[in-house]
Amino acid sequence: MRKILPLAVFGATPMFERPIAKGQRFFPSWAQYESMFRDIFERQYYTNHGPLAQELEGRLAERLNVRHAMCVTNGFIGLALSGQALGVRGGVVVPAHTFVATSRSLDWTEARPLFCDVDPTSGMMTAEVVAPLLSRQSVSAILAVNPWGDCCDVTGLQALADQYGIPLYLDSAHGFGCEIAGRPVGTFGAIEVISFHSDNILSACEGGVICTQSDDLAASVRNMRSNYGMGPPVPVVKTGNGRMSEAQAAVALFNLDHYAEYKQRNEQLFGTFRKGLAGIPGLAVRVPSGVSESNYQNLICLIDEATFGLRRDYLWRILRAENVLAGRGFYPPMHQSLSTHESPTNSLLHTEHYCARTIELPMNQALTKEDAARLIELLGSIQRDANVIGRQLAEAA
Amino acid sequence: MEVKPRTEDFALFGGQPLFDSIRSISNLVQPDFDKFLSYSRLIFEDQCYSGGGRVEQLLESRLAEFHQVRHSVSFCGGFWGLVLAMKALALQGRTEVVMPSLTYRRLADIVAWAGLIPHFCEVDPLRLCITAETARPCINGNTALLLGVHPIVNSCDGEGLEALSAETGVPLLFDAVESSYETLNGRRVGTFGRAECFSMQSSKLLNAFEGGYVTTNDDALASHLRAARNYGFDADGKLSASGMNAKQNEIHAAMALAALDDVDEQVQVNRRRYDRYKVGLASVPGVRLVPFDERERNGYKNIVVELLDDWPISRDLTLALLHKDNMLCRPYYYPPLHQKSTGYAMVWSDLSQTEDLAKRFLMLPCGYFISEEEVGQVCDYLRAIHSHGGELARRAPQAR
Repeated sequence: MRKILPLAVFGATPMFERPIAKGQRFFPSWAQYESMFRDIFERQYYTNHGPLAQELEGRLAERLNVRHAMCVTNGFIGLALSGQALGVRGGVVVPAHTFVATSRSLDWTEARPLFCDVDPTSGMMTAEVVAPLLSRQSVSAILAVNPWGDCCDVTGLQALADQYGIPLYLDSAHGFGCEIAGRPVGTFGAIEVISFHSDNILSACEGGVICTQSDDLAASVRNMRSNYGMGPPVPVVKTGNGRMSEAQAAVALFNLDHYAEYKQRNEQLFGTFRKGLAGIPGLAVRVPSGVSESNYQNLICLIDEATFGLRRDYLWRILRAENVLAGRGFYPPMHQSLSTHESPTNSLLHTEHYCARTIELPMNQALTKEDAARLIELLGSIQRDANVIGRQLAEAA
Repeated sequence: MEVKPRTEDFALFGGQPLFDSIRSISNLVQPDFDKFLSYSRLIFEDQCYSGGGRVEQLLESRLAEFHQVRHSVSFCGGFWGLVLAMKALALQGRTEVVMPSLTYRRLADIVAWAGLIPHFCEVDPLRLCITAETARPCINGNTALLLGVHPIVNSCDGEGLEALSAETGVPLLFDAVESSYETLNGRRVGTFGRAECFSMQSSKLLNAFEGGYVTTNDDALASHLRAARNYGFDADGKLSASGMNAKQNEIHAAMALAALDDVDEQVQVNRRRYDRYKVGLASVPGVRLVPFDERERNGYKNIVVELLDDWPISRDLTLALLHKDNMLCRPYYYPPLHQKSTGYAMVWSDLSQTEDLAKRFLMLPCGYFISEEEVGQVCDYLRAIHSHGGELARRAPQAR
């Protein structure tokens, strides 16, 4: 038997000394951090829509070219408040191919998710997959998702929503900095929510922004989140707490200042992986195709088991053993992980197929070009030895 | 120097404000910066910014120790900590939460987020809180949860409510957002009922920028809450409980740890401010300071006074005067929750005692931004209001 590469999954020393998380995790340097927080301590303004939160909202509104950019504690709370502001009830169409935050945000409204399938090639929601659901039952909104620095068929979905007279709102958690035909993510739908979790390109550690062009929806969101005298007080069903602190806003402002640099770094790293992985049979790098501008914050690969020679889950385990904390995309899909929801009657086969093939490699700020080269080399070797590795893993199980 | 010798000296009538900047009822205590930085070091070492990082783990164990309880579970805020604890503890198939109406303005909204219905009870007129006696008449076949709320001065009837919970089988949760430091009959607040929820928003005793935590001795409840704050992902990564993102971030956790390190010294300073109020208000007619029970451990942060029948002007005018002189005082819970219009159902019967109490109390400036000397000025200011009484009311008919 040919000697295979020593792998950590079989007891060898891991390729990386410390775990490399898949998220972006951009953060100020120590000196910058110390100076930012010294300023906050001197101002003694800690939360409640302080000067930094106000500055961040102003800069986001300007950059995204949106009337209202309202910062919140995190993206999930942003989605929950948005659903409340829109008054969604009954069914809301949402892809099963998404992070749990999307559909779970509906648990905090009067609505329930109606899971739709995705396009088999892009893995994204399209008007074609949503349309049959709208004609079959009563639906109060479409909650679309723009994952991975890419976008779904927003234009088609907006036309469909208009046709049925229901709002489209968007979970664009991964979408800061992306553009569709030159128009920034944040300006689409009735409301668009972007996440500032540290895994995304614009990190506030935790955080998010609710974007809308509608004065009425903005007033409703602000009255739930806490208004701070901005805009008119309007009645809401119930208030929540969605404040962003000065600490979160400080980190977000720093990262916003460095966005261009981060994006360039991501794009170069993405290019390195795309080129380096191109020759590996059965492994395809997913390239954002629904946007005119991507932030390249996620590196999604699709594994064709038959050609690659190894199950996606085995590859995932091997990488994790090497301290590469790869992900499996949106696996398992929502309709298979949420037992509380009714079983969908429509087919979600493309979703299931996509979920079973996805592997997400790290786009962590700590990952160097040399690390990327080693990782590419490792993936090549794994593929070459796939049969032997697969047999050994199966035997060990 | 005499404070406000003439009525025209009050800022409401054109005088110079007593303070040149706002004195509020928020704490806004500043932890030691170097301690904050030293905890922040861990964030840089781990490059983990949220979700079960080392700083949050350290905070949870420190808070558990502080409250002498098995678990402390951190949240991004006390608001969502309460929502998730209510959802976790409410009896299945029942909908009502027995709680006071004379309390935090958003507490009924919190119950509504949990998918439950507030059933308001009276409060004890002396302790200003829910007791077993005031809660008992509200318990019925649809009661899902008892929500004990500790008032901002002293604690509610913890042991009486525990006995009522044991007798009726209705689970007991406490809203203890202002009571981090308190004891009740010598026992730490944080150990009562099935769980207690605290806030670390910057206006509270512990300033974490934003934040909150739930204490419990119940292992299963702690695991459930840790999953619920992370969308429902349990320790094995399985999606179990219902959930949301209510995770504390690591910077806020570092701030909380620094605040916790300083809390004993802070309480000593609060105690001196409180003592100054006690001395200063003793000689002001018509005002009664709501006293801390000095046999217990108290944070001594909040200053609540009652305007008695011989106070010469309305509470509204008193507040209007204070505001203009840069004292951002607030009524003690007005309007009571059952008198607010909301978009969800609420249940109550006669709450005349609550309605009466809601008109009588107010909170005076406290916390990090007010010195002991300034506390003396606030007392002198109230004395001046009392002595000018009738004339102030005549000059401000619109504010009455």
